[in-house]
Amino acid sequence: MTAQRILAARPAYQFGEAAMGLAFVLPIVVIMGGLVFMPLVTTVIDSFYRVDPMRAGEPFIGLRNYTDLMTDSNVQASWMNTFAYVVMAVVLETAGGLGAALLLNNIRRGRQWLLAATVLPWCLPPVVNAIVWMWIYNPSYGVLNHALISLGLLDAPRVWFNDRGTALFLVTLVHVWRMMPLTAIILLAALQSVPKELYEAAKLDGAGALKSFRLVTLPLISGGLAIALSQSTVFAFNLFDEAWIMGGSGLDTRSVIIQVYMSAFQNLRFSYGMALSLLAMIASLIVSMIYVLRVYRETRLD
Amino acid sequence: MSARTINSRFLLAGKVVGVLALLFWSVGPIYWALATSLTRPADLVSKAPRFWPEHVTFEHYARLFGAESVSQGNTVQSVWPQFSAALLNSILTSLAATVLTVAIAAFGAYAFVRLRFPGRNLVFVLVVATMAIPAYTVMIPLYRLMIMMGLIDTYVGITLIYVSAFLPLALWLMRTVYQAMPLSLEEAAWLDGAGRIYTLLRIVMPLAAPGLIAAAILTFLNAWGQFIVPLVFSPTLATKPLTVLIPEFVTRNYVDYGLMNAAGILAIVPPIILVIFLNRYLVSGLMAGAQK
Amino acid sequence: MRRRTFLSLVAALNTAIVLPSLTVAEAANAETLTVLLPPWGTIPKAMTDRFQKEEGVTLNIQTMGWDEIRTKIVTSMVAQTAPAQATEVDWSWVGQFGAAGWYAPLDGKIADDTVADIPTAEIFKFDGKLLALPYNNDFRILIYNKSHLEKAGIDNPPKTPQELLDQAKAIKDAGVTKFPLGLPLSATEGTSTAWYLLTMAFGGDLFDKDFKPLFTDKDSGGYKALAFIADALKDGLIDPAATGLKDVEVQELFKSGAITFDVAGWAGNLAVYSDSSKSQVADQVDAALMPSATGKSRTFGLPEAIGIPTSADNQEAAAKFIEWVAKPENEIEIYNSLGDLPPRLSVLKQLDDEGKLFAGDKLLAQAKTVEPLFKQGTPGWYPEFSSAVASTINQLAKGQISVDEAAEKIAARAKEASER
Repeated sequence: MTAQRILAARPAYQFGEAAMGLAFVLPIVVIMGGLVFMPLVTTVIDSFYRVDPMRAGEPFIGLRNYTDLMTDSNVQASWMNTFAYVVMAVVLETAGGLGAALLLNNIRRGRQWLLAATVLPWCLPPVVNAIVWMWIYNPSYGVLNHALISLGLLDAPRVWFNDRGTALFLVTLVHVWRMMPLTAIILLAALQSVPKELYEAAKLDGAGALKSFRLVTLPLISGGLAIALSQSTVFAFNLFDEAWIMGGSGLDTRSVIIQVYMSAFQNLRFSYGMALSLLAMIASLIVSMIYVLRVYRETRLD
Repeated sequence: MSARTINSRFLLAGKVVGVLALLFWSVGPIYWALATSLTRPADLVSKAPRFWPEHVTFEHYARLFGAESVSQGNTVQSVWPQFSAALLNSILTSLAATVLTVAIAAFGAYAFVRLRFPGRNLVFVLVVATMAIPAYTVMIPLYRLMIMMGLIDTYVGITLIYVSAFLPLALWLMRTVYQAMPLSLEEAAWLDGAGRIYTLLRIVMPLAAPGLIAAAILTFLNAWGQFIVPLVFSPTLATKPLTVLIPEFVTRNYVDYGLMNAAGILAIVPPIILVIFLNRYLVSGLMAGAQK
Repeated sequence: MRRRTFLSLVAALNTAIVLPSLTVAEAANAETLTVLLPPWGTIPKAMTDRFQKEEGVTLNIQTMGWDEIRTKIVTSMVAQTAPAQATEVDWSWVGQFGAAGWYAPLDGKIADDTVADIPTAEIFKFDGKLLALPYNNDFRILIYNKSHLEKAGIDNPPKTPQELLDQAKAIKDAGVTKFPLGLPLSATEGTSTAWYLLTMAFGGDLFDKDFKPLFTDKDSGGYKALAFIADALKDGLIDPAATGLKDVEVQELFKSGAITFDVAGWAGNLAVYSDSSKSQVADQVDAALMPSATGKSRTFGLPEAIGIPTSADNQEAAAKFIEWVAKPENEIEIYNSLGDLPPRLSVLKQLDDEGKLFAGDKLLAQAKTVEPLFKQGTPGWYPEFSSAVASTINQLAKGQISVDEAAEKIAARAKEASER
C-alpha cells in the first residue's frame, strides 16, 4: 500500500507518465472496445427490438422481450437450474482448488508432475470431456455403477439422470472437474507471492497451521481468491456443453445459456434469446461483484 | 518422540493422502478415456467395464495416423492430414493468443498499477467486467464485424477474438501480482538512473515471472478448449482447431467412442508438455533470487 | 442512428485503426464453390475432382457436425452474409428458413424430371417453391433381430403396435433379452421423431389442417403412442436408462444384439446393421413395414437436402452442383462411399435390381408409403415444438408426469409456439 501513498503524494497526472500509461493501455482499449464493447452495445440495442427472421420487420418493442422472459416457465426453470449449478460449482471449485493449490505449494519433489496432472482435465476438449463422463455415468456399462456395486454401496445399477437433483449434481461435477484447475492455478500463483518470511514470523509467534493460514495466507491471497471466485461464478453461469451433451434440451438440466441457444438459434427468436443472455451476464456480474467487494473489504490490510 | 515430529508425520501423511486424492480425481477419468481408446469397439458395449481392456488394440490410433481410415463404417482416406492440420491450428492460434495476451497484459496491468493517467480505474473495471459476457451475446455482431474486416477463417481473426476474450483475466491477475510487489525495488533502479521502460523490463517483469507464467498457462488452456468461437469463425481446415474437428467423429449413424477418446488423448499431449515445461518458472525461487 | 449503420461505422473505424496493412481484397474466385455439409455429405475427393473436371468449378467442401451447421447458418444469415454458397438443409428447418426467406428457390434451375423422380423433394417446398434438393433419403422402417424372434418362437414380425408389445413381452419372458424394445427417450430430436412415427402407427396425425393438436383425445393416435411408451416402460420392455439415450445410442445397442426392435429404425442404417465389420448382428438383422393399427403401414420422410442461401454469390455454380449431385451415377457413388440412401426412386429400384440393397424389397415397399410429417409443409415453429415434445416425453419416461399431463403439455406448447 506504500506504493499508492507515494504515488498519491505526487502531483496529478504527469505528462510523461500519463502518455506512457495511455500507450500501454491503448491496445487494450482498441481490442476490447472493437471486439467486445461494440458488439455488446449492438446486442443491447437489438434486445429492445423484435429481431425475428421469421417475421417481417424489426419493430421497436421496448422492454417486451424482458417482460416476456419473466413469465416464460421454461426460462424460470432454467434459472433455477443455473442457480443450482452456480452454488454447487463455486463451492466445490473453490474448496477443491484451494486444497490443490495449498498442496502444490507445499510439495517440493515432483511438483511439476502433480501440477501437470492437476491441469489435465482442462486440456481435454470439452466435447471429449462430456463424453468421457457419460461413459462413467452410463447406467449399463458405466464404471460408476460398477464400482458402487462392487463396493456394496448399491444393489442394482442406477439410472443417474432419472432423478433431477442427482442429474444437476452430476452435471456440476463434470463442470467442476474441468474448471477446478483454473482456480488451483490462480490460487497457486497467489500463494507463490506470499513471502516465506511471513510464515516463519507467524510460527515464531506460536501460530498453528490453521491460525497462520487465516492470519497470513488468506489476507495475502485475497486478490487471487477474488479472481478465482468470480471466474468460477462466470463460468458456472455460462455452463452449456456439459448439460447440453448429457441432458439435451431436458428441463431437468437445462441451463440459462442452453435456453439462450434454444431461443435464439433453434426457435429463431433472436432478440428474445439475446435479452436473456444479457440478463445472464448481469446476474453473473452482480454475484461476482458481491464477492469481489466482500473479499477486498474483509481482508484489507490496515 | 517430541510433539513436533508427531505433528510433522501427521502433516506428511496428510500430504500423501491429498496427493493421492488429487491424482485420482484428475487422472482417473483421463485414464478411463485412455482405456476406452484402447478397447475394441465390440468390447465397449460388452458386459461389465474392465479396469484394463481385455484385448488392447491400437486400431483407433491407427485410424488417426494410418494411411486409411474408416468413417461411417466405410474405408476412406486417412484422417491424419485433417487431424494434423487441426492440431497445428490449435497450437498456432493458442500460442499466438497467449503471447499477445500476456504481452499486452504485462504492460497494461503495469500501467493500471503504477502509472497514473485519466480514466485508469474506469477502463480497468470495464475491461474486467467483460469476463461476464456469454459468448452467444456478442457472437452475431462480432461475426458481422469479422466479415467486414475480411478476417473470417484467418489466424489473425481467431487470435484477436481469443485475445479479447482472455485479456481481462490476464490483466486482473497481473494487476494483483504488480500490486504485491514492493515499489522500493523500482525506486532504487530509478535512483541509479534507469529509465522507466528499462526498469519495467529488467527489474519488474523478471520478478513478476511466476504471475506471467500463470497468466500464460491460463490463456493457453482457455484458448485450447474453445469450441463455439472457432466453430463460427474457423469454418475450414485453414484455421479449424481440434476442438471443432473432433466432434465431427460423432456422426449420424455411428458414434465413434474409441476414435473420439483417442483423439482426445492426443489433444491433451501438447498442452501438457507446455505446462510441464513452463512449470519450472511457476515457482517462488525466482523471486527470492532476484531480491538478493 | 440506425442500428446497422452504427455497426458498420464501428467496423470501418476498427479496420482503419487495427488493420491498415491487411488487405481485405480476398476477391471471391468465381471458379470456386464453397459447400457446407455434415460428415455424411462430405463427398470423397475422387468425386470433387470429377466435378471440377466436368463442370469447371473447384469445390471447397466444409464439413461440420450436424447440430453445429445450424448454429453456423443462423449466425451468418442473421449477420446478413451467406454461410457458404450451398449448404445442408434439413427437412425440419424448411418452415423456418422458408419464412425467413433465407434460401433461394430452385424452381427453374433444376430439371423437372429430376424433381419428379425425387418424391421427398415435396418436403422441401415452402409456399410452393422448392428451397432445396434432397441428397439423402431418410425414412423410418421397423428393423428387428430375427434370431431373437426365432428364439422366442415367433414366426413373423409384428403387424400392429399391439403385436409389437406382445412379441416384446414374449421375447422378454423367454429370457432372450432383458429389454427388447429400443426407443430413444432422452430430451433429443430422435425421441420426438419416434413418437411421431408411433402416432402414425396408431393411425393418427399430429395436427389437423389448421394446426390444431390431434393428440389430446384418449382415442387419438398420439395419445395412444404416449401410452404405448409409458406401458412399455412399466412392463420393463424398454430399458429405464433409455431416458439418457439418443437415437444413435439405441442403434449401437441394436448392433450389439442387446435389443430386438429398433422401433424407429433409419432406413439407411440397414446397410450398416447388415455389415459384419460394423455390427455384431449382421446375419440376424431384418426389416419389416412399420406396424399399423389400421392395416395400412405409414411412415414419414426425414430427408436432407442442399440449398442455396439468398445472399450467396455465383448461384448458378451452386445450382450446377446440386443438379450434379442428383445425377443417378453420382447418387450411387455417394451411396457406395457414404451410405446415404439415394433420393431418386429410379436409383433405389436400380440398386435393388442389382441386389445391392439389403432388404431392398421392404425398403422399396416402405419408400412408397413415405409421407411428409406435415402435409401443409413443415411449420416455422417446428423446432420449438419438437424440443418441447422431446423434453415432455423425457419427463413422462422418468415418471415425473402422467400420460394425460404429457399430452396436455405438448398441446399447450404447440399452441404457444404456433401463436407467437
